[in-house]
Amino acid sequence: MSLLTQDLWSELTPLRIRARQVAHGVYAGAHRSALRGAGIEFGGYREYVPGDDLRWLDRRSLMRHQHLLVRQFETETDRTLSLVVDASASMGYRGPDAPASKMAFTSLLAAALARVALRVGDPVSLTFLGGSEAQPVGRSSGREQFERIVGALDAVHPGGDAAVDRAMVERAVAWLDRSVRRGSIVVVLSDLIDLPEDAADRLTGLVSSGRVLVVVQTLSPAEADFPFSGPVRLRSLEGGAVVETDAEGARDRYLAALAAHTATWHAAVVARGARFVQCRTSDPPLRVLRDIVRAVR
Amino acid sequence: MSFVTALALAAALLVAVPYAAHRLRRRRAEDQPFPPARLVATTPQQARKPSRLEDRALLVSRAVAVLALALLGATPLVRCSRLSVQRSGGASVALALVVDDSMSMRVGVEGDKGPARFERALQGAQQLLASAQDGDAIAIVLAGAPARIALAPTTDIGAVRQALEGLAPSDRATDLDGAIALARGVVAALPQVDRRIVVLSDLADGHADGPPLDDSASARGGAPEAASVWVALPELQRDGTDCALLRADRRGVRVRIAVACGPGKSAAGRDVVVEDAAGKALGRSTLSHAGAVEATVLLPSEAAAPVRARLTGTDAIAADDVAPVVTEARRGAIAIVADPSGETVATGGAPIVEQALASLRPDVDLRPIPAPPDRADDFAEYLGVLLDDPPGFTPEQRHALAAFLDRGGVALVALGPRAAAAPLGATLDPILSQAVAWTALGGATRVGIDVASAVGSLAGSAQSLIDLDAERRAALGTDDARALDALVRWSDGAPFVARRAIGRGEAWVVTLPFTVDASDLPLRPAFLALLDAWLQDAKQRAAPRRTDVGTPWRFAGARDVRVVGPAGDVPLVRDEGVARVTAPLIGRYEITADDQHETRVAAPSERELDLRPRRYAAAGAGAGMSDARSSVDVSGDMALVLLGLMALEMGLRVWSRRRGEPEPLAMARSGEA
Repeated sequence: MSLLTQDLWSELTPLRIRARQVAHGVYAGAHRSALRGAGIEFGGYREYVPGDDLRWLDRRSLMRHQHLLVRQFETETDRTLSLVVDASASMGYRGPDAPASKMAFTSLLAAALARVALRVGDPVSLTFLGGSEAQPVGRSSGREQFERIVGALDAVHPGGDAAVDRAMVERAVAWLDRSVRRGSIVVVLSDLIDLPEDAADRLTGLVSSGRVLVVVQTLSPAEADFPFSGPVRLRSLEGGAVVETDAEGARDRYLAALAAHTATWHAAVVARGARFVQCRTSDPPLRVLRDIVRAVR
Repeated sequence: MSFVTALALAAALLVAVPYAAHRLRRRRAEDQPFPPARLVATTPQQARKPSRLEDRALLVSRAVAVLALALLGATPLVRCSRLSVQRSGGASVALALVVDDSMSMRVGVEGDKGPARFERALQGAQQLLASAQDGDAIAIVLAGAPARIALAPTTDIGAVRQALEGLAPSDRATDLDGAIALARGVVAALPQVDRRIVVLSDLADGHADGPPLDDSASARGGAPEAASVWVALPELQRDGTDCALLRADRRGVRVRIAVACGPGKSAAGRDVVVEDAAGKALGRSTLSHAGAVEATVLLPSEAAAPVRARLTGTDAIAADDVAPVVTEARRGAIAIVADPSGETVATGGAPIVEQALASLRPDVDLRPIPAPPDRADDFAEYLGVLLDDPPGFTPEQRHALAAFLDRGGVALVALGPRAAAAPLGATLDPILSQAVAWTALGGATRVGIDVASAVGSLAGSAQSLIDLDAERRAALGTDDARALDALVRWSDGAPFVARRAIGRGEAWVVTLPFTVDASDLPLRPAFLALLDAWLQDAKQRAAPRRTDVGTPWRFAGARDVRVVGPAGDVPLVRDEGVARVTAPLIGRYEITADDQHETRVAAPSERELDLRPRRYAAAGAGAGMSDARSSVDVSGDMALVLLGLMALEMGLRVWSRRRGEPEPLAMARSGEA
């Protein structure tokens, strides 16, 4: 799909239709839940990572082969999908050559994920990091839940400054602690920019409660490539940072700093047994969705 | 400049607009949202650096485009400083370009810097030529002495341009009056009503204190159709300091060097150096006096071979600071054969003709001898021989005299009673082939001098021959009278003063003796004029060793003449069969005339060292007849320049895109949040 048609598609098509279309490409041909995590029916082994629930550590394998393996079980009925969508001001950035803002792109991914989960009967919940007129959606299943989630995603507007509102992440984690049960799947959709320094620790702490955490970093192509030229004056949308620089001279250092920032998040997430997925708003949403589903498995 | 032109040119001020826009764009960085701004490092030095190359190129392209547009709007009204001919009603003009090719035109326009005055004069002539139109007749007159016509009037502009390209500077003196008179005569015969003379000269003709150059009102004599004179290029008229070596003569171990400077100028403190062919200094002398001085340089030995003398230091003209060293020529002599014994009037000393010659103060020795030499070698030291009523010549004398005349000598024979009574065996050959008779004048019709028949140098003084008191005269044979070229005639047509060429020499014949017993001719002013003219002829034919540059050298009777000067072969001109050469440059000239070799030197004219410009009448400023400015239509060129600039800008934009750099428009989209 070309950039133009993608752009038009994202601008004109309602979120629910697009979410259904994307979700259809994921669960087409599936006969059971594609989500894995804490459940009843055995679903295989995987390498232990710090943070895994020790109850699922395979003691036999440990004694026989000295390998730390964790048993996985397929969810049958009650594998809640909890969506955490970053709606802070930075998510409203679109950038050149991008078909949509980061908020629009993550909303599409969230709605599609909700559609996939609801299709197999898994309950879905939704909460936001920041945002204007953000209304969290409680855990539920059924067709109406998809409509509620899409409505909430449509209603929210990017807003809030995580650098100023230090409790933004704390509120979302507290909400998840209260509403998400053990064995649930938590998908955080954010650009991971301007979040508080302890945001990684707070979010990855969800894994220790037996939950599966997938952190999806969504960046605009401009943020990933820094395509500017000449003298530029850059103003962050959160924190009030203003930088005047020469684009050519600053490009390499910026890309290095961004890579280090991403590596820090990646290390923090993986170290707690969570998954880390990167994408750009210019990427095909279906491919990103598959990457997320693959990470959940 | 009209208001419209000024307005169009004022549009050039808009060149500041692209610059200001560029500055504003460059200084004001684009403010745009960027969430990860805190990850971006500040680079203040690079942020303030000048814009990129393509931006500067675009700025220059746009600024030049604005300038070109302004010029395009102002043309063809734009004027530039150049000479041109204004014409009334578009009528064709007759133009005489007086180009000064004298030595003073070698001086730079701005002293030592810039092109020479002569080059600027040629440039001015070319500019005038560029404004010429079909039907204009143009002539070129050169003002280097003697003034001469370089190109007769022609309407062929190409021929004029070619003639101008062939002109070269010389070391001649300046003859502005002669050149203007020549130019006036040239254009006077042309059919154009509008006749003009343009003087391209520094006006340094040595007459700075003289009357103004060509007061047109008086020169026209009130005739409105006479040519008007315009002295163009006033920037050439600047005084300067110049000194020159006039001569460098060697005698033994001494080299006498004459140095002269312009009025009020001095060469004191400068050295004169005598050098050999390799440039090695053989002697030196420091000048200590101002004005014209003569320095003596002692050579180390008789065997020394000095080639040139050089004046050290610098002045306006370098060409005249070097003079060739030549062996000092002996002073020429005039042999006078006159027998005063028979005269009844006592002069109290030398014969009257000898005293008359002495009164002319000739630069030659006067040597009275009793009879013509009968050996050819005895004639060697004489420039000329004056024979007053000789009683014929012996065969030996005839042979020696013929040899003398054949190699360029000049004889003046006054015929009287003794010549008519030559003894048996004595004739006047080789001057006259027939005997002469001493016949009485008068009778019923008195025979006198025909004043109107006087020609040449005697024409001016012939009036003094009216009522010449003579009872008799010498009558020439018919063949001799026919062979002679009469300068003054008797009223009956018989020659009174006549001359004929013999070999390379010449014989002058006067049909009255130089005694007051026969006539009162020696008491008349024309007698001195006659002797002076003959003396000058003798000097000229006697191959003077040194003359002012520009003085013509004649080689009468010579069939094969070759002259090699400082610049190579000098072109030869034959004037009524007589070879004539004019030395244009200062220096040594090697001359070969019919296997006879001699060396001559062309020296600078002392008058030319005066670089003060001569005054000229206000009418010569050229108001109303010519202009120092001209319109130039460059609109076509400007249009091409604009086209090229547009192509350049397009190319720069394409090049910028191929480099993958986003356009400023695309950057603006990044502001979306």
